[in-house]
Amino acid sequence: MPTLIVDGKEISVQPGATIMDAARLLGVYIPHFCYHPQLSIAGNCRMCLVEVEKMPKPVISCAMPVSDGMVVKTDSEMVRKARKAVMEFLLINHPLDCPVCDQGGECSLQDLAMKYGPDRSRYHEFKRHAHDYDLGPLVETEMSRCIHCTRCIRFSDEVAGVPEMGAVFRGDHMQVGPYVEKSLTSELSGNLPEVCPVGALNNKPFHFQARGWELKKSEGICAHCGVGCHVRVDHLNGQVKRLMARRCADINQSWICDKGRFAYDGLAQARLEQPVVRSESTYAREEVSWAAALDRTAELIKRFKPEEIAGLASDGVQGGEELFAFQDFLRHVVGTTDLDHRLRQRDFSGDEQPLTRADLLMNTPLTALGKADVVLLIGADPRFEVPLLNLRLREASLAGTRIFAIHPRQLKANLANFSQIVLQPGAEVAFLQGMLQALEGGAVAPEAAALVAAWQGAKRPLLLLGDYAVSHPQAETIRRLAVALLEKMSALGSEWNGFNRLASRGNGAAAQDMGVVPHRDPGYKRLERRGRNARQILQAAADGEIKLLLLLGCDPTLEGVDTRLGRAALAKAYVVYVGAHQTPAAMQADVVLPGLAITERDVTLTNVEGRAQRSSMAVMGPVQAKEDWRIFRALSDRFATPLSYNTREALRSRMAAADHRYALDDLEPGELSAACDHSPVTLGLPLEAGAGQAVAGQEAGLVLVLEPTFYQDDAVTRHSAILGQLAQGRSAAVGSLRINPQDAARQKVQAGQSVRLIHGERSLECVAALDAAVPVGAVFGDMGQAAVLMQDLCDWEGGFPRVSLVGL
Amino acid sequence: MSGTAMTKIVYKNIHLENSHTLAVYKANGGYQALEKALTLTGDDIIDEVKQSGIRGRGGAGFPAGLKWSFIPKDDRAKYLVCNADEGEPGTCKDRDILRYDPHLLIEGMIIAGYAVKAERGYIYIRGEFYREAERVQAAIDEAYAAGYLGDRVMGREVRFQLAIHRGGGAYVCGEETGLIESLEGKKGQPRLKPPFPANIGLYGGPTVINNVETLSSVPAIISNGGAWYGKLGVPKSSGTKLFSVSGHVNKPGNYEVELGLPMRVLLEEYAGGVRGGWDNLKGVIPGGSSTPVLTKSVCETVTMDYDALSRAGSMLGSGAVIVLDRSVCIVRAIARLSRFYRHESCGQCSPCREGTGWLAQVMERIEQGKGVQGDMDLLLSISENIQGKTICALGDAAAMPVVGAIKAFPEEFQYHVDHGRCMVA
Repeated sequence: MPTLIVDGKEISVQPGATIMDAARLLGVYIPHFCYHPQLSIAGNCRMCLVEVEKMPKPVISCAMPVSDGMVVKTDSEMVRKARKAVMEFLLINHPLDCPVCDQGGECSLQDLAMKYGPDRSRYHEFKRHAHDYDLGPLVETEMSRCIHCTRCIRFSDEVAGVPEMGAVFRGDHMQVGPYVEKSLTSELSGNLPEVCPVGALNNKPFHFQARGWELKKSEGICAHCGVGCHVRVDHLNGQVKRLMARRCADINQSWICDKGRFAYDGLAQARLEQPVVRSESTYAREEVSWAAALDRTAELIKRFKPEEIAGLASDGVQGGEELFAFQDFLRHVVGTTDLDHRLRQRDFSGDEQPLTRADLLMNTPLTALGKADVVLLIGADPRFEVPLLNLRLREASLAGTRIFAIHPRQLKANLANFSQIVLQPGAEVAFLQGMLQALEGGAVAPEAAALVAAWQGAKRPLLLLGDYAVSHPQAETIRRLAVALLEKMSALGSEWNGFNRLASRGNGAAAQDMGVVPHRDPGYKRLERRGRNARQILQAAADGEIKLLLLLGCDPTLEGVDTRLGRAALAKAYVVYVGAHQTPAAMQADVVLPGLAITERDVTLTNVEGRAQRSSMAVMGPVQAKEDWRIFRALSDRFATPLSYNTREALRSRMAAADHRYALDDLEPGELSAACDHSPVTLGLPLEAGAGQAVAGQEAGLVLVLEPTFYQDDAVTRHSAILGQLAQGRSAAVGSLRINPQDAARQKVQAGQSVRLIHGERSLECVAALDAAVPVGAVFGDMGQAAVLMQDLCDWEGGFPRVSLVGL
Repeated sequence: MSGTAMTKIVYKNIHLENSHTLAVYKANGGYQALEKALTLTGDDIIDEVKQSGIRGRGGAGFPAGLKWSFIPKDDRAKYLVCNADEGEPGTCKDRDILRYDPHLLIEGMIIAGYAVKAERGYIYIRGEFYREAERVQAAIDEAYAAGYLGDRVMGREVRFQLAIHRGGGAYVCGEETGLIESLEGKKGQPRLKPPFPANIGLYGGPTVINNVETLSSVPAIISNGGAWYGKLGVPKSSGTKLFSVSGHVNKPGNYEVELGLPMRVLLEEYAGGVRGGWDNLKGVIPGGSSTPVLTKSVCETVTMDYDALSRAGSMLGSGAVIVLDRSVCIVRAIARLSRFYRHESCGQCSPCREGTGWLAQVMERIEQGKGVQGDMDLLLSISENIQGKTICALGDAAAMPVVGAIKAFPEEFQYHVDHGRCMVA
């Protein structure tokens, strides 16, 4: 290891490290603009010049590799002079508009100008003006402020994998921007303002909203997908103003996605602010006091037998605390076992097996994804399910990892070394069985040949089950086949475990851990007496067997596989709704108990790796809203056996006692709990096909597959006006029916035409969009869009519906 | 030394009829050096070239043999690139080689490629050299047909493929790493060094980049031996050099002379003398537009070799001798050069992007009579701030002529500032 001296301090560093690396290790700050630890070295700003003994000219520390015996001075006369020179060059054409610049107060150029800049300009020529671009709803430009560091270009090329930014022209005419003026399409474009060291690229929704120094900053965890990115919540006067990425090497590195960054404006929209009770005599809903609302809830619960009461929770933006309190209340105060959170799941046959945490979450930590040599994505679209996990895959693929995907829709992947096998919906099980047989020496289907060959040669194969696979009618069979494929390769050990199932909604992992399922207590303790699952609960409620539904942030009329069933259930049963945001279910509930949004409380969130993390409160919620777990605690006082915890700390120690992975109080500040702290994967389950249900009906028609809409996936994102503007990273508008052009021609349907979708006796009107990514024989639609509820055409059983189309 | 006929190496054939054809080239001893080289080992050839002492003729003057010896002896694919992007204002020497003796260059490249074990060569030709590119391509085709190029060079187990690539007209692509970027199809912007091209160059492989004139000198070095070549010229500046004499002389043109020739001899005996006589000389830019201008008193005695010009405060550069007589407004001349460098800066690094623009604007202001007191100090300060802080040498190239002119002719600048007009015109 070469040893060098930086400012009189000796340090040994890895060969190939740069002077900047060595200085950072020593805690010596070298000013810079273009250098970013997560981007390639450009060396163009020239601000990080340092003096190296025996070298005639100053060298840039970001690019100069260290050599043994180097003596570096970062603050000599030569260096100060060079920095002043560079600073002056950067400033001559930079507008003096700091007072109206969003970056003011948190600007590298401003900070370093204070230290190295001249107090007056020697530049008396006209300043350069650059063209501004409209980059869409997220990024605002003021390109005259650009210092041409190319960080945004390098971020787009290297990290986001969507080369949307570039530099045109030469010399002092050089301009940074999109080559052609257009909206940015990357799901990570919100990071561009963050990497920009000046105010050239700004956070558009934050434009002119506040000054950096006025903002209060809280450390949060993003809950809008399962990755669990670290965010900084910046707020002012009780309002969240913006979210920034908080660096976490093990999870999100330095980035967050646009969904996580810009969902914040949905936090304060359409809130439930006051307890509401529907009068039994007039049926009118009235705002009441908490005491009255809780009394009414207790009265309803006492009116029915425990088996006539059930609970459904959201795995979206609910924290671990209330998930624990929810199941605790239902199981031990109410006495029912009917509770679930899996409204999107069709196949519950796995409940009969002793599945554990390893079977339901990831087993490869995010930091280890890059070690995989072959990756198979089964029904996963990581880019638009778990964007920051996708970045890890992209890094791996650039380093040579081969990535295959099987998915019914052509994915818009930004991976290198990527190939996709497009399968008809329902062909997955047969394909995976064929692959398994091929590994055992059987015949290889031609479309699977490359995959099988790569899989056979893999040392560390990795498998990822995504949203489509988890909500598949044969999800459990697919899961077992996935396990078998890895078992064949001995890839389920403690050295390398390549089995990964994404609980991709915000806190799905915590819902599993906290036992918000009918067959398990917290900590994966199986129950003798299994309750009813999500589908059975709604069916029983619609049939009148279940008389009271307790909903925790969950709306079966919007989110379930079959929203018609959800509506029927809610129409028949009494509904108590606990949650922060207005949803159709909340607006018709018999009792509404307003909770707090994710930024308004201290909450535990568990990510796809099963890593529990704490997010801290940033702002106050509506005056009358309560922390959700306290609602259940207060409610339990009206029963013989109230819940035993009075403080959040006591609740958390109960959670830790139930599941040791929630013992987070012992962690050092900044320390993360362990990822994938679970094993082993359950082996030896039978593999016969059809363990789930039929994949699709036999009648003629197109198979209708519904997918969650990435940018509008939970109560907060649905209310976010900023995310509402996004083009979803795909061509079709939200709520439209995506159909292959060939099918469209056959059905005589044109783009933008209204069509009627017919499935049996049900039908629905929507707008058709042509999309070549959709396979022939299938149509794709969005889930959870209140305006066009396509789930109305689906049944929980019977698989994907076959629909016929009539052009209108 | 005198103006008598000197050894000609690079231009020895260009006066011949159809000198660009393989037949004429072969009739005058062409490809014999290659035949000899193929009997030697690569290291022997590199030693011969080292012994010759030839320094890079593109402008930087780096010893060519040393450059070749930096190529690592590993299994990676290696590349030989000929820099024919002759863009330095005032320089037109390589054009005549490309035009009239392309086989000389091709032979030199095959020998160089064999020496450094590069099996693939590229000639990066300046975009404006359209006809030259056609000629070189025709010569390459002839060489392939005759078996000098291809999978079996002269029937031996030696591979050398050669292709030309026309540039897009950017001066900065004459910088070797900018050239590599451009050759790879990217925007022509110089790379950070280290790593140097000898280690990581074209397509990430070890790469030798030489000027046309350097490579065209190789056949003679191999035929006659490095020691023979080393005896030409003067110590540390051995061999012959092409000078493109332009400006106010009676016979502007390309001249091949041995290094160490007094400048006055070059101008008076070769280039037909300064317009209006020697005493009408104002100054000479001795090595292309980026080299500082020399005053008449320096020109009286200076000799044309690397060290003497360096001692005189300028550079041999690419050998473009730009002669300025007394009718020239030095401020206007340099302002034009500054405008050139502003236009040609790639814009990548801050000091050059901003500095060349600033220099050009101040120079233009002074030239137009709008200069203010202190502008000369400002120019010197900007130049100092650019120099040594940029990614490539273009920033230095932009600063040096300004600094050189202010030092050589301060009174002219001062007159412009004081009187708002030129003292010459």
